[in-house]
Amino acid sequence: MHTLLVYVREARAQIISTWRTPQFIIPSVVLPLLFYGVMGLGLSKGHEEIAHMMLANYVIFAAIAPAMFGFGAAVAAEREAKLIELKQIAPLPAGGYLAGRLIAALALVGVSIALLGVLAYFGGVKMVPWRWAATLGLGLASAIPFALIGLNVGLRFGSQGATAVANVLFLGFCLFGGLWAPLSIMPAWVGKVADFMPSYHLGQLSQMLSGMQPMASVPHHLSVLGAISLAAMIGAATAWKRQAA
Amino acid sequence: MSPRTSEPVAMLRQTVKRRGATLALNGLDLDIRPGQCVALLGPNGAGKSTSVALLTGRLRPDAGTASLFGGDPRDIASRGRMGVMLQEAGLPRTLTVREQVDLFRGYYRKPRPRDEIIRLAGLEGLEKRRCGALSGGQQRRVQFALAIAGRPDFLVLDEPTTGMDIDARRALWSAVRAEIARGCAVLLTTHHLDEAESLADRIVVIDHGQVIADGSPEAIKSRVSGVAIRCRTRLSDAKLSGLARVTGVSRDGGKVTLLTTSAPATLRDLLARDETVDDLTVAGASLEDAVTRLVQAGAPASTRQAEVA
Repeated sequence: MHTLLVYVREARAQIISTWRTPQFIIPSVVLPLLFYGVMGLGLSKGHEEIAHMMLANYVIFAAIAPAMFGFGAAVAAEREAKLIELKQIAPLPAGGYLAGRLIAALALVGVSIALLGVLAYFGGVKMVPWRWAATLGLGLASAIPFALIGLNVGLRFGSQGATAVANVLFLGFCLFGGLWAPLSIMPAWVGKVADFMPSYHLGQLSQMLSGMQPMASVPHHLSVLGAISLAAMIGAATAWKRQAA
Repeated sequence: MSPRTSEPVAMLRQTVKRRGATLALNGLDLDIRPGQCVALLGPNGAGKSTSVALLTGRLRPDAGTASLFGGDPRDIASRGRMGVMLQEAGLPRTLTVREQVDLFRGYYRKPRPRDEIIRLAGLEGLEKRRCGALSGGQQRRVQFALAIAGRPDFLVLDEPTTGMDIDARRALWSAVRAEIARGCAVLLTTHHLDEAESLADRIVVIDHGQVIADGSPEAIKSRVSGVAIRCRTRLSDAKLSGLARVTGVSRDGGKVTLLTTSAPATLRDLLARDETVDDLTVAGASLEDAVTRLVQAGAPASTRQAEVA
């Protein structure tokens, strides 16, 4: 019970802290909603299928920033300030710091995805309930691989460098993952890069779950995502051990 | 409970720790008992921060033992009885003092009441300020507040008063004395020898990863029988150590401190060799003089510059 409360308090502090940091909140919550409101709904009156397809992409887009910044830039800043060290000495249960951060990132992602869902619903996007749940749920779950990638950035770069790298990755994942514009209108080489982007595979799965694309190559998408997540997890664990030594 | 007979709160026993190419600790022994305040002094690179890192579980010894409350310093039970103020630690800029103190209180099973922490750390009126808006000295006070949030039995203060003004330093000292009085053991590292003299009942001087002196401030001072001559002079360190009856030489800014067993003999010699000597004072050796002297005497090369603590 005590341990659980520590996780919750840690997460709450991280959420408050993120909420008060405009450079995190704007890309995390405001940008996806703004883009979706203007482009997905505003520009496509009467084209509900575009709003529908964009929703599937935007639930992934909405997960990238909170995970990348919450684990990349914020962890780097706290590591540099020796706050992580102080928390490792304090009687925080093992993993409490990272668990708190993960809960905070998931909460932020959850809020922005829920708002996206509300916008889409009132914008005329129609899906059967399980497709709604699957699409929004996949968006939420996609925060985990991005958090693992962000953690590598946060543990390996200084706070200035981590913010820059997190930004570059954030833009790269959105662009090369085909989340902002379909890959079909981009040069062919972008499609080749896309295969290495977790955002591309998540976007494809999201399109399938929301019913915009037939189910195809699911094992391929899942295995690439699994490989990227595993590599990021090993990388983060190595970096975490090194800073603890 | 007599501090001499009780079990040590924190203990390093024949501890060896290599950091990169250097041997940071070379068989160090250190005991800290309940209600005792130990000041760990020594030049930069002597092994102070390594000792602190071992006792707080951030490093593991290569050989020998580091123990806290008879167990591993990494055990959550041991950590729950310890409070730590790290050197150069920061705070989350966006949380308020109260939020940050409450967060740390929440880590402990029996935390101290928040109002008591705020009062002891001298943070009244700053509770609603964001940590990023505090001055350096105020941030140090918040870090002290975090260190005492769990009513610790062992308090580690690594350069606690850096960036504090005189009043804040004195307030922190009296808070630390109150912790000691209720039986808390304290490990203090500091660059301010007056701080060590004011708080510690035991001084441990280390160099090259080994203890070179261990005793009360008075005992350490009495190890240097003699007098300190302070002045400005053009003479080099080598010439100064060659003066009659000089036992130690150290520099602080433009001023030189000479330790001597006979002030008249050294003064005659000094004035004869350098007629430009200025700002001359003669006083009994201070704790700083004593520690400088001990470090110099323990150093392998006689020319080594001793920068105390």
